[in-house]
Amino acid sequence: MLDKRVVEDVILAALSTGADFAEVFVENKYVNNLAMIGGRIEQANAGHDYGVGIRVFNGTNSVYAYTNDSSSENLIKVAKNAAVSIKGVAKDLGISLVKKDHSIIHNIRKFPRDIAKQDKVALLRTGYEAAKNYADTITQVTGYYLDEDQQILIANSEGLWAEDRRVRTRTGFSAVATVNGEMQTGGANIGEHRGFELYDTVNIADYGKEAARIATTMATADLCPSGKMPVVIDNAFGGVIFHEACGHGLEATSVAKGTSVYTGKMGEQIASSVVTAIDDGTIAHAWGSNHIDDEGIPTQKNVLIENGVLKSYLIDRIGGRRMNMAPTGSGRRQSYKYEPTSRMSNTYIAAGDSSQEEIFAKTQYGLYAKTMGGGSVNPATGEFNFAVQEGYMIRDGKIAEPVRGATLIGTGLDVLKKIDMVGDNLAHGQGMCGSLSGSIPTNVGQPMIRVSELTVGGRKGAE
Amino acid sequence: MATEQLMKEIFEAGKAAGFGDMEVYIDNSKSFETMCFEGEITKYALSEEAGLAFRGIYSNGKMGYAYTELMAATAIPQLIENAKSNAEVVETEEEVFIYEPKGEYKQLSLYNPAYEEVTNEQKLDFILEAERHAKSLDERVFRTAYNLFMEGASDVQIRNTKGLDVSQKNNYAVAYFMVMVKDGGDQKTAAKYIMGNDFKVFDPKKLAEQAVEEALGKLGASPVASKAYPIILQNKTAADLIKVFSPNFSAERVQKDLSQLKGKLGETVANPIVTVLDDPHLENGIESRSFDGEGVATKPNALVEEGVLKTFMHNLKTANVDGVEPTGNGVKASFKSSVGIAPSNFYVKPGADSFETMIGRIENGLYITELQGLHSGANPVSGDFSLQANGFLIKNGKIDRGVNQITVAGNFYTLLTDIVNIGDDLKFGLPGGGSVYGAPTLHIRELVVSGE
Repeated sequence: MLDKRVVEDVILAALSTGADFAEVFVENKYVNNLAMIGGRIEQANAGHDYGVGIRVFNGTNSVYAYTNDSSSENLIKVAKNAAVSIKGVAKDLGISLVKKDHSIIHNIRKFPRDIAKQDKVALLRTGYEAAKNYADTITQVTGYYLDEDQQILIANSEGLWAEDRRVRTRTGFSAVATVNGEMQTGGANIGEHRGFELYDTVNIADYGKEAARIATTMATADLCPSGKMPVVIDNAFGGVIFHEACGHGLEATSVAKGTSVYTGKMGEQIASSVVTAIDDGTIAHAWGSNHIDDEGIPTQKNVLIENGVLKSYLIDRIGGRRMNMAPTGSGRRQSYKYEPTSRMSNTYIAAGDSSQEEIFAKTQYGLYAKTMGGGSVNPATGEFNFAVQEGYMIRDGKIAEPVRGATLIGTGLDVLKKIDMVGDNLAHGQGMCGSLSGSIPTNVGQPMIRVSELTVGGRKGAE
Repeated sequence: MATEQLMKEIFEAGKAAGFGDMEVYIDNSKSFETMCFEGEITKYALSEEAGLAFRGIYSNGKMGYAYTELMAATAIPQLIENAKSNAEVVETEEEVFIYEPKGEYKQLSLYNPAYEEVTNEQKLDFILEAERHAKSLDERVFRTAYNLFMEGASDVQIRNTKGLDVSQKNNYAVAYFMVMVKDGGDQKTAAKYIMGNDFKVFDPKKLAEQAVEEALGKLGASPVASKAYPIILQNKTAADLIKVFSPNFSAERVQKDLSQLKGKLGETVANPIVTVLDDPHLENGIESRSFDGEGVATKPNALVEEGVLKTFMHNLKTANVDGVEPTGNGVKASFKSSVGIAPSNFYVKPGADSFETMIGRIENGLYITELQGLHSGANPVSGDFSLQANGFLIKNGKIDRGVNQITVAGNFYTLLTDIVNIGDDLKFGLPGGGSVYGAPTLHIRELVVSGE
């Protein structure tokens, strides 16, 4: 992507004022987007992202600069500009870049750029038809398709030269059901770190149908009651609860600054003993996986919580310097326009022993959150929220009437202790996670779990 | 390669590939961002970037889009090929347009050359001073969770084959300060910001004082009983909520059956005290502009006037479908985006009441200062929202104590008719995607609260 001599010169220029570490990140990315509304392709866009990010450390000070003019003169100019704010004397650092290979786990069979656009359109059409024909109450269906092919190069003053190619594709549908003037929506999607062969193994119509099923169910659902109650959260995207309630709080970004509620809790029992939570960036073809992180470090499987005990944080290079701990392969960024920070990859609560029957049987009254929307958290207070896309009341240990418009809130440290049952049906769901270093693909996951008490925010008032 | 030459070659290549009317959109921008923590500069980021977007009407009558960040002749073949293959799959029947310029462009001063004289040292001093001052105010001030100063300057040029050649330049800066206070095991945060391109209004001490005052007020917060309460919605927070539902005013969403405002033009959709404006000529408006993403001259529009829905926001395509004049709301969130519809400076027109007067009217209610999870807990289609909230209990016309771990739930369309009083304190949120949203403090008849 760039000549080795040029990269070495850029790194030396970045080190010229006394920095102790310099890094060059080169990104070359092709993206394709399609949007369908009401059965017709409404938008088709495609583009080429290309740029270079240069990062310089001096102790725990960091300077970042990026550009999309990759001529060697400009890159050296940018590196020198970045170095200006570091006031020191150049150390005698010799640079010898050595290419570091990694084994290929996420091999790509069908590169999206080799696939006719009509085949991509056909996916959307299939999902649209399935959603539209699901019920007469479906009044609108939208669909999106995207693929991206990202090539990166990371080189640094420690001699690292690492390259990777990441191909991802995702397709999703949103359906609107209208009943007596009440419009409600439902959505479903699939995405992987894989080529177009993904669609050989999944039935895309299922996702259209699922979006329509949720919208139809919610259009006739009653308003959700409010107050504190037991909540059963289903598997897959239900894992957003851990992502928000705990995952963000374990990122070095806030732990290193002492602004996370989880700072200083390593080795402590922070969750109930049925909770084991993992962030694993190595799962083959998973949406949040990469061979190497965006700092060139191989991704790894990090056990964050084991039987309720805090075992690991998510650490990037600068966080590692601040915390005096080794990076965990968690440095990620949306693009060359962002300085990497500590982020999640595929985060999940590991499978437990409870069957779904047992979980319901032991819950006389409460909310069953079957599918989730997204959420957010303030790591400094641990206060989190996430939305329930499809919910039902649980009455007498059985799933009862559907309810709409519920949001669940709590604080991380409190809710981790209240997870009292963990099911045996682990699954994952795909999301985009937004934070300091931009919007990145992440998986969330869990088996069905029960939280003994959560604040349920609905519009109906107390029941 | 010189931009002039590049544009010329793109139009030539486009024509050869079968495009008729064509447009090139170029955005040259630079930015600087710095953060500090505990007296140390932890972030110092510089950028200079350029992006080029092409769109054109292909021989099948459809619009093809493509973009590149590689500003070189070598990027042209792929750019044109992408645009062509995109046009080939588009199926919408609506007629599309490349704009033939007409009318006057309002002259606006969006670029303040004086701001460029501000040195990076002054900006570093600003954030260091804000942090130092916050810590001096109260011993419960623990740390700054975020202390950021960022600025950007952008130069957008649109040229097309129908004679359009417009450009505008702007610059702006944002200081964002989030403080964390701690009392025993109780941790709270509050964030305040300043934006604009006049460095004189950037007062680090005032910023720190406002954030610290709000954060300290939150200590000891607890939930309230679950029931419906009269609500005073803080100006910035009201703006955040309105932003989520603003796409319902887009003609695109109306035409595609995704907005419940469909068919309601001329009808009363809000309490008659409510007027909602989109003003691209607003003085000091952070998203002010003289032309939109298609080159159409902008103008101020009243979307809701005294409770009555007056117009939707249009781009060239939707205006043609509805047989109306475009409203100058064809917006590209960035050069990478297709032309969609979005507002510029979108806001609820302020009323006459002071904040104190509004609080004074409430016997037992809540003052909501923060809503979280707006991207997930609010559904623009159904209008339903249920959101994590922080704020204060109001008792007998006075702020009583902090409230947290509650949700407030309601519906946007009901809320429009339930706005019973409007404050005089218009405040805008932070910009994003080419738009910014503002509101004064709003008194809402009631919302359902879930807490204890």
